[in-house]
Amino acid sequence: MSGLGPWLIALIAVVAVWVDIPKHQFDFPFGCPGICLRVGDRYYFQEIKTHLGLDLQGGTQLILRLKNESLPPGVDTPLPTLNDQARKVIDRRINALGVAEPVIQSLGDDKILLELPGVADIQQAQEIATRQAFLEFKVPDEANPGQFKSLDPPLTGANLKPTFVTFQGQAQSIPVVNFEFAPPDDQRWVDLSKQYVGKPTQILLDGKEISSPNIREVFSSGKGVIEGGFTTQSAKELSLLLNSGALPVPLEIVQSTRVEPTLGADSVQRSLVAGAVGLLLVALFMVVYYRLPGLLAVFALLYYTALAYAVFRLVPVTLTLAGIAGFILSIGMAVDANVLTFERLKEELRTGKSLRAAVDEGRRRAFPSIWYSNLATILTASILFYFGTGTVKGFALTLGLGVAVSFFTAAVVTQLFLHLAVDVPRLRRRWLYGVEERAEAMRPAAQPA
Amino acid sequence: MASEPSALFRLVERKWLYFLLSGLFILPGAAFLLLGGLKPGIEFRGGTLLDARFEPVPEVADVREVLASLGHAEAVVQGAEGGRLLIRTTEMQPADIAAVERAFDERFPGALREAPSSSVVSPSFSAELVTNAVRSVVFASILIVLLIAFAFRTFGWAAFRYGLAAIVALLHDAFIVLGLFAILGYFFGVEVDSLFVTAVLTIIGFSVHDTIVVFDRIRENLRLNPGEALNPVINFSLTQTAARSVITSLTVLLTLLALYLFGGYSIRNFALALIVGIVAGTYSSIFNAAQVISLWQELEDRWRRRPRPQAAPA
Repeated sequence: MSGLGPWLIALIAVVAVWVDIPKHQFDFPFGCPGICLRVGDRYYFQEIKTHLGLDLQGGTQLILRLKNESLPPGVDTPLPTLNDQARKVIDRRINALGVAEPVIQSLGDDKILLELPGVADIQQAQEIATRQAFLEFKVPDEANPGQFKSLDPPLTGANLKPTFVTFQGQAQSIPVVNFEFAPPDDQRWVDLSKQYVGKPTQILLDGKEISSPNIREVFSSGKGVIEGGFTTQSAKELSLLLNSGALPVPLEIVQSTRVEPTLGADSVQRSLVAGAVGLLLVALFMVVYYRLPGLLAVFALLYYTALAYAVFRLVPVTLTLAGIAGFILSIGMAVDANVLTFERLKEELRTGKSLRAAVDEGRRRAFPSIWYSNLATILTASILFYFGTGTVKGFALTLGLGVAVSFFTAAVVTQLFLHLAVDVPRLRRRWLYGVEERAEAMRPAAQPA
Repeated sequence: MASEPSALFRLVERKWLYFLLSGLFILPGAAFLLLGGLKPGIEFRGGTLLDARFEPVPEVADVREVLASLGHAEAVVQGAEGGRLLIRTTEMQPADIAAVERAFDERFPGALREAPSSSVVSPSFSAELVTNAVRSVVFASILIVLLIAFAFRTFGWAAFRYGLAAIVALLHDAFIVLGLFAILGYFFGVEVDSLFVTAVLTIIGFSVHDTIVVFDRIRENLRLNPGEALNPVINFSLTQTAARSVITSLTVLLTLLALYLFGGYSIRNFALALIVGIVAGTYSSIFNAAQVISLWQELEDRWRRRPRPQAAPA
């Protein structure tokens, strides 16, 4: 622990604190809310901020399952492909709505996790996620008068150009959705009008009739309108759904969570209080029980808190309520390595070693225990992270990262502080380390040669 | 090594007392576990949890009546701090939740302060979550056993008994927590969720961590004092590490206590599980784990010294 070590540790502290400072208020110091690098004409930009989970900022979370059992027989697109397509469709729909920072992830092959921060209307979220938006045009069935049948192959909305809403009627007040088939379906559309002119057709959305217009004339292009008795709102929604494409497979909601922003803010408040109180209690205990090393451990603990938080912001880790609990727990555990070292230090001092020798010996002998015990926790955390979902993952991630960071602070930072402290003559009094003063006469004998 | 004989506790000699004490804590919990006291939360059995803030807070009976009128007579309504009511029902669709919200507004005008937070899990998905939880527990256990084996590899053949003792200790801790929640579930309807599973796994990790520190010290003292009998070495090692075990647990307990008191009701049970588990873990690392090693050694010695009549004639 000499030479560059202390400077490196100080540098890490400075960087950590810089990362921890809220960027949006200050734009400090580079006029950029995060890391902005420019090398030649390559840019690297990462915004640094605390990512709060839905349970802390409020919003809606859905877990959707692909109902692949309800696919028509003969369709054998592999599940991962369907999942991919479905996520893209949902992504387009959400983008059109302008939800900030949505999360759309696959959970295994057959599930999709959808998080919509700030969306309070769970029914709206359900609409976005599960409306299949499968548009089909049917024609009269001669065999069953009054019924409609699919064309072969079915004429669907899969091949539409972007749709838009216009207004019709005398007062220009009746909203309709304009569509236009792209080739080759535009020709089929024209052919259909030739064959069924003067007859009704049926337009279905997700299997339900939304309109059954009469074909009044033979069309000259792939264009058409849907008059579905819409309100302006519902016409716009339909247009949006059609433009985003149809889901390749029906989806069902297997889990839905809605958190009110006030409940989330409440949780953040509580967690901050719990964290602060926890930190304070531990700090108090350490100083009272271990005196000078305890005080050094408290500094190391503050270092730990700043560094761990910086790591969370950089990775970035999405903080959830359980995640914060994991972080707070890791504060308690972070002290563990210090306790192991300090207990050893006391023992070594009692056997008559000099302070410096005791510090080195204490570190050396406590290290295996620290190493294995941290490993046990990190191992548990990784298993939880790998197999867990949602809350459990958040807890495991912050606990695991927290313990890893605490290993660094205990093994490196506290040691540095201890070494710096024993170099200060005023701080070399044994009672500061919780050990009774030696008789003066013994001192020369106990000093190492 | 006998530099401070006065500080030695007779920890090994009293092992049966400590085993008995552990048994007294585990048995009632085990009984309630068998009685099915451990109640799965909505996450593990499917259903709906609504968290609604009212002001003024209506009578629970009235709230139940509203829910019953909407076809949810099975609803369990529970008050929480801050004017919140926690309502558990079977699975609801978003439209059903909106209907509940409207019904509340109608019945208790102006009392519902915000749209209820909700969490709905379909039974099909909850089955999967249970499988996941079981799988993670099994994998965690296997990996921890491997870790123990690795940590004690230098013990040679004795590593096996140290590993086994560590496993006894972690089962002890896990069962105390499971038992407590079985009792709480039986009498107070406390439910377990994936956070609880997380707590149990964390406790297992912590327990191993504590036990390893003790065993590490026993190993070191055995090396430093060749020829010394096992029991005095264990006593001495425990005396040396007890302070550390208690103090590290204490610091963790302090943070958990802060979580329990200030973290809010949604993680209170989680904090409680961890608190109890860590107290149990500290106890087992001081009073059970090394004692199992000692017991093993004593049984082995007795077996070796047993009279061997068939050996005499030959």
